[in-house]
Amino acid sequence: MNRKLIYGLLLMGLLTGCDKYLDVKPETSLASETFFKRQADFEQAINAAYVPLRGIFNNHAWVLTEMHSDNVYYARNVAFGNEEQTQNLADFNVPTNPSDVAGLKITTNPRVRDLYRQYYQVIARSNQVLATIDDIDFDAEVKNNLKGQAYFLRAFSYFELARFFGTVPIHTVPVSVRQEAAQPLGTTEQLYTLVENDAKEAVNLLKSKTEQEPGRVTSGAARTLLTDLYILQERWGEAETMAKSIIDGGEYSLISEYENVFSTSTGNKNNAESVFEIQFMEGAGGYQSNFMYAFLPRPILAEEVATVFGPTQNQQDISVEGKNIPTPDMIAAYEANDTRKDASIGYVTLSGTLWAPKTYPYIKKYAKPHALHNNMGVNWPVYRYAEVILMYAEALNEGNKPGEAATQLNRIRNRAGLPNTTASSQADIREAIFKERRVELAFENKRWHDIARTNRINEIIVPHGQKIKSSPISYYFPEGYAPPSDAFTNLERYFGLPADEALLTPYF
Amino acid sequence: MQKKRAAFFSQAAFIWLVSCMMYFNGYAQSSISGLVIDASTGSPLSGVSVSLKGASTATLTDEGGRFSISATPGATLVFSFVGYGTQELPAAENMTVSLDVDSKGMDEVVIIGYGSQIRREVTGAVQTIGAAEFKDIPVSQMTQKLQGRMAGVQINQTTGKPGQGMSVRIRGQLSVSAGSEPLYVVDGFPWTGNIAALNPDEIETISVLKDAASTSLYGSRAANGVVLVTTKKGKPGKTSISFNTFAGIQEVPMRGRIQMMDAVEFAQFKKEYYEDEGLPVPPEFQNPQQYDGKTNDWYDALLRKAPLTSYNLSLSSSTDKVYTSVVAGIFDQQGVVRNNAYKRYSLRMNTDYNISDKVKVGFNIAPSYVFDNTPRTDGDRGTGVLFNALHTWPIMPIYDENGELTLYNTMPASTGNIFNYPNWLRAADELTNETKTINMLGNTYIQYQPIKGLVFKSTLNLEYRANRFFFFNPSTATSAINTPVPTTAVSTRQSWENTNFLNENLITYNKSIGEHSFEILGGFTNQRYRETGQRIQADTYVDDRIPTIQAATNINRPSTNNFVNEWTLASFLSRLSYNYKGKYLLTAAIRSDGSSRFGLNNRWGTFPSMSAGWVFSDENFMQGQNLLAFGKVRASYGVIGNNNIGNYTQYPLVNNVINTVFGSTVHTGAAVTSLGNPNLGWETTAQFDIGLDLGFFNDRLQFTYDYYQKNTTNLLYSVQIPQESGFSAFNDNIGEIKFWGHEFAISSKNLTGKLRWTTDFNLSFNRNKVLSLADGLDRVYGTFHITQVGKPFGQFYGLIADGVYMNQEDLDRNPQVPGRSTVGSIKLRDVNGDGIITYGGNNDDRTIIGNPFPDFIYGITNNLQYKNFDFSIVGSGSQGNELLVRHLYSTANLDGVFNLVKDVKYRFRSPENPGKGRFGTTVGGGQITGVERDWMNSNFIADASFFTIRNITLGYNHNFRETSTIKSIRLYTSIQQVYTFTKYWGGPNPETSAQGDGAGDGGNLSQGLDLSNYPVPRTYTIGLNVNF
Repeated sequence: MNRKLIYGLLLMGLLTGCDKYLDVKPETSLASETFFKRQADFEQAINAAYVPLRGIFNNHAWVLTEMHSDNVYYARNVAFGNEEQTQNLADFNVPTNPSDVAGLKITTNPRVRDLYRQYYQVIARSNQVLATIDDIDFDAEVKNNLKGQAYFLRAFSYFELARFFGTVPIHTVPVSVRQEAAQPLGTTEQLYTLVENDAKEAVNLLKSKTEQEPGRVTSGAARTLLTDLYILQERWGEAETMAKSIIDGGEYSLISEYENVFSTSTGNKNNAESVFEIQFMEGAGGYQSNFMYAFLPRPILAEEVATVFGPTQNQQDISVEGKNIPTPDMIAAYEANDTRKDASIGYVTLSGTLWAPKTYPYIKKYAKPHALHNNMGVNWPVYRYAEVILMYAEALNEGNKPGEAATQLNRIRNRAGLPNTTASSQADIREAIFKERRVELAFENKRWHDIARTNRINEIIVPHGQKIKSSPISYYFPEGYAPPSDAFTNLERYFGLPADEALLTPYF
Repeated sequence: MQKKRAAFFSQAAFIWLVSCMMYFNGYAQSSISGLVIDASTGSPLSGVSVSLKGASTATLTDEGGRFSISATPGATLVFSFVGYGTQELPAAENMTVSLDVDSKGMDEVVIIGYGSQIRREVTGAVQTIGAAEFKDIPVSQMTQKLQGRMAGVQINQTTGKPGQGMSVRIRGQLSVSAGSEPLYVVDGFPWTGNIAALNPDEIETISVLKDAASTSLYGSRAANGVVLVTTKKGKPGKTSISFNTFAGIQEVPMRGRIQMMDAVEFAQFKKEYYEDEGLPVPPEFQNPQQYDGKTNDWYDALLRKAPLTSYNLSLSSSTDKVYTSVVAGIFDQQGVVRNNAYKRYSLRMNTDYNISDKVKVGFNIAPSYVFDNTPRTDGDRGTGVLFNALHTWPIMPIYDENGELTLYNTMPASTGNIFNYPNWLRAADELTNETKTINMLGNTYIQYQPIKGLVFKSTLNLEYRANRFFFFNPSTATSAINTPVPTTAVSTRQSWENTNFLNENLITYNKSIGEHSFEILGGFTNQRYRETGQRIQADTYVDDRIPTIQAATNINRPSTNNFVNEWTLASFLSRLSYNYKGKYLLTAAIRSDGSSRFGLNNRWGTFPSMSAGWVFSDENFMQGQNLLAFGKVRASYGVIGNNNIGNYTQYPLVNNVINTVFGSTVHTGAAVTSLGNPNLGWETTAQFDIGLDLGFFNDRLQFTYDYYQKNTTNLLYSVQIPQESGFSAFNDNIGEIKFWGHEFAISSKNLTGKLRWTTDFNLSFNRNKVLSLADGLDRVYGTFHITQVGKPFGQFYGLIADGVYMNQEDLDRNPQVPGRSTVGSIKLRDVNGDGIITYGGNNDDRTIIGNPFPDFIYGITNNLQYKNFDFSIVGSGSQGNELLVRHLYSTANLDGVFNLVKDVKYRFRSPENPGKGRFGTTVGGGQITGVERDWMNSNFIADASFFTIRNITLGYNHNFRETSTIKSIRLYTSIQQVYTFTKYWGGPNPETSAQGDGAGDGGNLSQGLDLSNYPVPRTYTIGLNVNF
């Protein structure tokens, strides 16, 4: 039977061809096994690690810091339903429940959850670079700079998470299977140690500002992060040394006019005073910021938006509710003749609001002209040289050198058109620096952390809440409206861990 | 792996066999001749198999229904035809035999996987339906025609969009995230395209394979059940031509529509809203009566009466050697939503050629062209125009003072308006959203029969599809909210092609030795599917009249891409059937599949099955009684798989467009965006079935019962993992779900005299329970659902609403939502007993509040016939299923930012005026009202039990003289989707369920969302069939 033989042979041929026949690889994306092989792969991988920072700073970080302080409040738009999930931060009533694990707390607030998740994306991408980069041989200088960025980004993320949550899971190697996805929580101290080690690596590996491509993190940024950590830990001597090393490095300087310190939509980015800022770009590429639009009181008509930004090609009316509206208290915090006041705060009158005064303050330092409605390129300042100087002043003062501290403090005051500080005792200088930080770094996500780390939550937030409750109209509530009954009942230093994550991990 | 191969090679080397095709029986010399006609219409039936009982002599009737066969008068002749009952009659010269379409005799031919069987010998759970049974149903899709006719098969029309939206579930099969639709096999070729593209007029029979024994030859694709379709083949005899047409008009009945406020009621609501808040009433609402007679019913304005027409011309012709069947069809349906059209042009040519007594070849070719243009009708707020129209303020004008459609509807912010809308009629009328699909199907086979009973068959099948999608959103039409019109015009062009290639090589051998009969089948098959395509999205057009790419100012880079999808499947299959005396029946089958979709460590799966049957009515102890003419018990067990797990899911993928900016330069970024799993495999379903077939009173009353139990394990699931990992999910095979159910089918000839009346009834109970999920995971949450170990799949999950707090005392006495409860706000049950109401986390107050799955489903068909008239009525229903009325989050939004359902009139306004306890106070804004709206609760759940009269048809038949050109005509009129009996209040379609993929909303875990989709219209038609 010839035919039988042919069939048999055919079948055998098909069998041996099977494995190849069944091996169908994706064609439009690379599989990770074929990636992470070349220098360019790691360059791309580190670029992607920066990406979640855009979302964090555009959407979430200011909600958890500035809104969660006495600097700003929301401008209740009663014509619109509430945005209670954001309001809860400003009202200090973030719903917080006990976790399944004793002693821990969780929250359903999505702003808290989203920030948490996005920082872990930065961490995972940094881990991926650090785990595989040493297996591939390429130019050592390039490699060091890439590793330095990964260490910095991981350190910065854990630093932020530690300050927000106190305790979070620790991941330092990439996850490859489901069972590795949940890790035990690290204590605050363990997190600080991780941040310190990574930041020190970053200091050693990273290029300095003069060598680095503008916008990437630098050794100076890593030193600033370390200084910030030391101050948080009250390791004043190390903070002083580290801050001094940045100043002595001579790579940064104060820009003479405060109003010129901040990036515009298309320029003045990563300038002489900038240590680390989140990079945005206006246009259709998807790299834009629009946080400044969130900071507008509403409902606001197109022409009223134009008084804030100047005209755009497609100006529109905006509804919903405005956030990050400077409080009367914040406005009052500026001393007379402080040039920073007018540079930081502007006013806009809303014809459609139900709030009788109708003229609201708004954050002016980020309100720069741009081409398209709701599409800006203004960068977010994370660390500025002015803060380095203030950190240095604080470290000196706590190191019992109030005189030297005052000298540093005065550099900042003088730039703002203010005379030297009249404070001289250590305690007075401490208070002067605390106040100076509030106005110099207003709306830069510093206030809540300053209040929390100095254990002044009750001292500052309780009276802040009382002011709002006793005079809601001063805090932008229309007549007859007030904050919810449970406002200012949750004065915890740390946020609860995200409830959605708690469902998936045994550790909280 | 080596072992497996060796095993299969030895199997392959073994000799396989089977029953031979009917055509091979050839023609015998005539000695007895006669005529076979359709009992109901009297029309001649061609292609009926006529055989001499107990011998191999057989023939087929010719086009005029005539046959001749060499037989001695008095010998028993068996007449059988697919879809008709078999008759056994003594041979007589010039005999006339009428076959009954309604009687599903035990000797009916049943199409099974890779072959056919006589129904009495079937050991699996299979149901076959002939085209004659559903020929009058005036719809575009085959699956619509099957609604209510199959036990254990739930067919829901989730949306009224022509050519879309049919959800078919066999035996309640569900996966967590893999596809749950059955496998469609057309003339032996597993389709990858949309079965809706198949012209139902081309169909001859449909078989639904339900248990593992019937489906296991489809291996890793069989777990959701298999639907086998055969198309019309050429019949022996003279050339015959028939022309079928129908035309109808569709409309959406008023009954069942969502009762929304009219303009006066809405203005009154807004007036009260401000009064209750203690705010001045905006001038627009101070006098609600000014809107009397000025309601803008946006929803109704989108609907229209729409025609549908269908034409089919078919031809059957044959010579001694060549058999040809051609069906050409045009189907044209305008949608009941404006600017919606569906057209299908199709042709099928099936040709079989007998080269010699031993060799036969066949060619089928079936091109079709489908055109579809559908505005974005379905979808959530800001997406679907129907949902949007529903909640648009009725005081916003559709037409301006010049009678033109308005462009953009805004109201001052002082009216509390926060949503400005485009004109939804423009969004429907001016949008282009069309898909053109060219399908080209070709099958060819060669069959060789070296000796009697042994057949080699090799097939090559190719399915090619070219699709062109064009979307143009001119500057005046958008579905987005708060996007001022004119807006940015956007176009999307997508073109893609799919090829599906299948080669099957089969050997069959059949043999009878004494009273033992064997059939053996073996084969090797391989299939490759590939899709490639590209998509270009462009926007910012200068002129709406020129939607070309070059006229766009901007190409949207992130949305412009190429895509490729490919899979391969290599398989071995084998089946052995054995029976002794035709009453002890045994079948064993096995298929082994290697699939490119499975992980490297898990590439091959093997799927065996066994089944047995016993025709106890043939035993001696059953003789001598007339009650039970036929009785059979059967049982089967098998393991089958589901490989609908997507392509490339086992690979960790790198996305290399996660770009970043430094300064003003964009830098390319790349990151691992999914985790890989080299162990990934198919879902496995082990199914046990036991069935009973009974025929009483000479088969006038037939009864079938099946009980099944299935355990599905290794469910493909994208297991949510904590995002501290940097990832959100991991594709894994997890868990176990048990399904079980009972199916009853009764077929009865109630009257057989001049007035003939038959009834078919089926009833199915399907249940499921989750036995386990992944280790350390006992529940999976959806947005509104939970799937929890020990409970049925995808249950609605939320808080229990207990009315509203009627007064201060009521508020003080009951648990509250901290900071958000007030007098008149929604009262929720403190399920966990901690004294407060919480939402979110594992220990909150949510609980199971509803079930999207029915307790039972049923269908009933009645056919009546008197002289030349016939009448049929088909109905089907579902009991105990619930729907989540999703649109209430807009249409009962107490902040008054949308139009509202009428019942909101009866909301709580004060302790003295507490309303009906269903809707809470509007006072306090979202801090208060948001709980009722945003926290899923039992107020959103509605009983969606229904019984729908699907179709009523009245027909008149007339036969002309044999010599006339026109042999017969038939005239009929029918109403489709006649009436729905239901208490469902959430919308017009209790069968709806938002369709989605995977585990997301609308996916398998999240069934039963009513998003107020495209309503299913009622259709009035008249039809004509002419046979030449």
